[in-house]
Amino acid sequence: MTSSTILRMKGIRKIFGTVVALDDVEFGLNSHEIHGLLGGNGAGKTTLMNILYGLYKPDAGETYLRDEKVDIKSPGDAINHGIGMVHQHFLQIDSYTVVENIVLGTPVRNRYALKLDEEEARIIELAERYGLKVEPRARITDLPMGARQRVEILKALYRGVDILILDEPTTNLTPQEVESLFQCLRGMAQEGLSVVLITHKLREVLRVCDRISVLRDGRSVFTIPREEATEEALVRGMVGEEVEVKTSLFFRTGEVGRDTVKVGERPILRVEKLQVIGPQGRPLVTDCSFEIREREIFGIAGVAGNGQQELAESLLGIRPIAGGNLWFDEASLAGARTRDLVEKGITYIPEDRLRDGFLPKANVAENLILGYHRQEPYSRRRFLNWKAIFGTARLLIGEYHIMPPNPAAMAADLSGGNIQRLMLARGFSRPAKLLVAHNPTRGLDIRSTEFVYSKLLEQREQGMASLLISDDLDELLLLCDRIATIYRGQIVGTLERGEFDKYELGRMMSGVMTRE
Amino acid sequence: MSELAVQPRHNVRFLVAGFVPYLLAVVAAFLAAGIFIAAMGFNVPEAYSSILFTSFRTPTAFIQTLLKFVPLMLMALGFAVPLKANKFNIGLEGQLILGAIGATAAGILLADLPAFLLLPMAILAGILFGALWAALPAWLLYRFNINEILTTVLMNFVAFSLMDYIATEVWGDPGAGHPTTIPIAPGAYMPLLVSSPPLNAGILIALLTAVVVYIYTNRTVSGYELGATGSNPRASMVYGINTRTMFLLSLIIGGALAGLAGAIEVTGVQHRLIEGMQSNYLQLGIIIGLIAKGNIRAIPLVAFFIAVLEVGASAMQRTMMIPVEIVFIVEALILIFILLADVIRRR
Repeated sequence: MTSSTILRMKGIRKIFGTVVALDDVEFGLNSHEIHGLLGGNGAGKTTLMNILYGLYKPDAGETYLRDEKVDIKSPGDAINHGIGMVHQHFLQIDSYTVVENIVLGTPVRNRYALKLDEEEARIIELAERYGLKVEPRARITDLPMGARQRVEILKALYRGVDILILDEPTTNLTPQEVESLFQCLRGMAQEGLSVVLITHKLREVLRVCDRISVLRDGRSVFTIPREEATEEALVRGMVGEEVEVKTSLFFRTGEVGRDTVKVGERPILRVEKLQVIGPQGRPLVTDCSFEIREREIFGIAGVAGNGQQELAESLLGIRPIAGGNLWFDEASLAGARTRDLVEKGITYIPEDRLRDGFLPKANVAENLILGYHRQEPYSRRRFLNWKAIFGTARLLIGEYHIMPPNPAAMAADLSGGNIQRLMLARGFSRPAKLLVAHNPTRGLDIRSTEFVYSKLLEQREQGMASLLISDDLDELLLLCDRIATIYRGQIVGTLERGEFDKYELGRMMSGVMTRE
Repeated sequence: MSELAVQPRHNVRFLVAGFVPYLLAVVAAFLAAGIFIAAMGFNVPEAYSSILFTSFRTPTAFIQTLLKFVPLMLMALGFAVPLKANKFNIGLEGQLILGAIGATAAGILLADLPAFLLLPMAILAGILFGALWAALPAWLLYRFNINEILTTVLMNFVAFSLMDYIATEVWGDPGAGHPTTIPIAPGAYMPLLVSSPPLNAGILIALLTAVVVYIYTNRTVSGYELGATGSNPRASMVYGINTRTMFLLSLIIGGALAGLAGAIEVTGVQHRLIEGMQSNYLQLGIIIGLIAKGNIRAIPLVAFFIAVLEVGASAMQRTMMIPVEIVFIVEALILIFILLADVIRRR
C-alpha cells in the first residue's frame, strides 16, 4: 500500500459569530487509507469536513489536493474534485427508488423517457465491487437504516469520488450493520479510495482506521498511526488533562459503588402486561412486565426502534396505554396525566432532546422549569415567580457549566453541547422518585457523559429508582443493577448484575429467546 | 417569550441593540417610499412632514390619532396572543365586526336598562361575540386539526354578510343611504374624557386591557404554557402541557380582544353599526403585531406610531392630493425592512 499524501489542509480557521470553531487546524489524508477524525462534541470535526466539502467557507487556511491548491466553494465543486460526503442525516427522497435517488442531479442518458437501465447496471456494478448490498429498485421508505446508508455511500461513489467523508456513520446502526459497514470501508480503501471517518467513539477508530487524528476545542491535537494508538492516549487527546482517566467512570469496566449501597426492597414502579398500540393498530409494546425497586438502576437494552420510546412515553402518560397496569409507589397510574406524574415525582430525559424537550424561542430559565412550572417555588396560585425561577436557573447554570452563564439568554443561541447540558440540568434538577432516561448520553462528550454517570449513581444512592433505556451496551453494563432486553416491543429476558454477559444480551437483542 | 428577563446592567445595551434596527428600518422605508412620491411628482419633504407631524399640530388631529390607536392596539393584541402559541388569527376583522354587532344588539335590545348596567352589558356582549366568533375556528382546530388561518379568514366573509344583513334588514336605518343601523340607546354611550373634540373613555379600557394581557402572557402559568406551546408543541406536550387547549384558548382570547375593539368603536365612536367600520384594521393589526414581533410591551408603542402615520396620511391626501395608500406602502416597507434586519443579523 502506498502512502502518498492526497489531501492536505493547512492553518484552517473558522469563526461562527464570536465562537472560534476551528483554529489553525492541520489535516492530511493519504491515498488508500481510512483516516479516523476523532473528537468530543464541539471539537470541530464536522466543521472541518464541511469546509472541505464546500459547505462552509474557511476564514483562513488553504487546501491542497494532490499538491495543487484548490478553492472549494460548494458541494458540487467538491464532487468535481472527487470529494464526497455522507452526512449523519441522509438527504434522500423517501418515495423514490434507490436508483432514482442515486442518479438524482446527475446527467441521465435517457432523460425524457427516464429509463434508467444503464445507470442501474452501473450502480449494481459499483455495489458489487465494494460489497454494498442494496436492492436497486426498492423504495427508500422500505429500507432499514443500514441500507439507506449504503445508498448514501453509493451516491457519492456513483459521482466518481475518490475521497469519501463519513460523518458519525455508526450512530443509527445495529452492531451487525456496523460490522458490515467497516468491511465495506476496508474494501474501498483497498480499491484505492481514501476514507475519512468522523466519530467520537474511540473503540471504532481503533478497530478500523489506519491513522487517527484527534481534534479538541477546534485545535489539532495529534495524528498517529493505529499501531501507536492506545485507548488512553486517544482519551488524553480528546479530553485534555481535565478527566482523570484512572478514576474515570467512563473507562471503568468493573463494579461501581455496588458494595456500599444495595438495591432496596420497596418497588417504586411496577409494570404489568403493558400494551401500546400504534396508529395503524400495530402493536408497539406487548405484554411488558417488570418492577423497579428503590435504589435500583434498571436497564433496557435493545436495538433502536424496538419500542423503547413508546415504552418510556407510556410510562409518562404521553402515549395512551392499550392494556395492562402501572403502579407507581403503590398507586395505580392508569389514565394519569403527564402533569400529575411529573408532580408525583417522575422525571423524564427524552432521547430526542431537541424535539421532545427544548423550547428554542424561550430563554434558558424558561427551559429549565418546563414541566415543573406549576410547582412551588416557580409559581404560586397560577402566577409565576420569576425571582425564584431565575435564582434556580443561576444555580443550575453554574453547576452544569451552561454557556453563556445568563438565564435570560435565548435558548436558540446556545450551542448543541450547551443545549444538552441544559436538558440534563432540568432532568436532574428536582428531587424525583423515578427517573426515566432514554439514551441520556447520546451526543454528549466524554466529560458530560462522565457527569451523567456520576449523577445517576449519586441519585441511586439517595434512593431514586431509574429506568435507563440505552442503545449503548457498555453504558448499561457499567451502571445497571438489572438489564432487560426489548425486542419488537417485548421483554425478551432479564439479567441480574453478576450474570451480565454481553454476548447473551446481544443474542436477546436480535430476538433469540433464551430466558423468561 | 422572554421579554422581561433582562438583567439590569444589560438593559441599556439591550435597548440600543433592539432599537437601532427598528430606526434603520423606518428610515429605509421612508426613503424607499420617497422615491415613489417623488416619481409621482409630489414634494417629498412636505408629504412626510404632513404624515409625521399632523397628529401633533392640532388637538383635533391628536384626539383623532388616539381614537385610531385604540382599535389598532387591540387588534394587534388580538393577533399577538395567538401568535405566542404560533397560531395565526387572520379572523380579527370578523371578530371585530361581531363585537360591534354584539354591542349594537345590546345597545338596542336592552335600551331600557340604566346606563351603569347598559354600557358594561354592551361591552361584555362585544367581547363575548368576538370570542364566540373565534371559538368556532378554534374548536375546528382543537377537534379536527383544521388549519386556523383558513377558517379564520373564511369566518370574515360570513361576518361581512351578517353585518350587511343586520344593518339593512334587522335594525336598518332607512334614512342613512348606506347600510347602517339605528343608533344605540344613549345609556350605552361611552362617557367622554374630553368633550370637544370628543375623546371617549375607550382608551382607558384599551390601555388597561394591554396591561392585563401583558400580565397574562408574562407572569402567569398559563401564559408560560402559551409561549412554551408556541415554541415547541411536541416538547410542551411531553412535559405535561395540554397544547391543544392552549391553541384553543389563544384564539378565543384573540377573538375577545378584537370583539372589545368592535364594542368600543360602537359605544364610543359611531354609536351604531355601520358597514365598513372595520376599516383596514385587520391588515394594520397584523402589521403592528409582526413589527412588534409579538412583544406585548412593544405593541402599544408601535400601534401609536402607526396611528400617527394613518392620521397624517389622510391629512396629506386632503391637502396635497397624494393618495393615502402611500402610507400603507410605508408601513409594509417598515415590516419588510425589519424582517430583513433579522435575516441579516442571523448571518
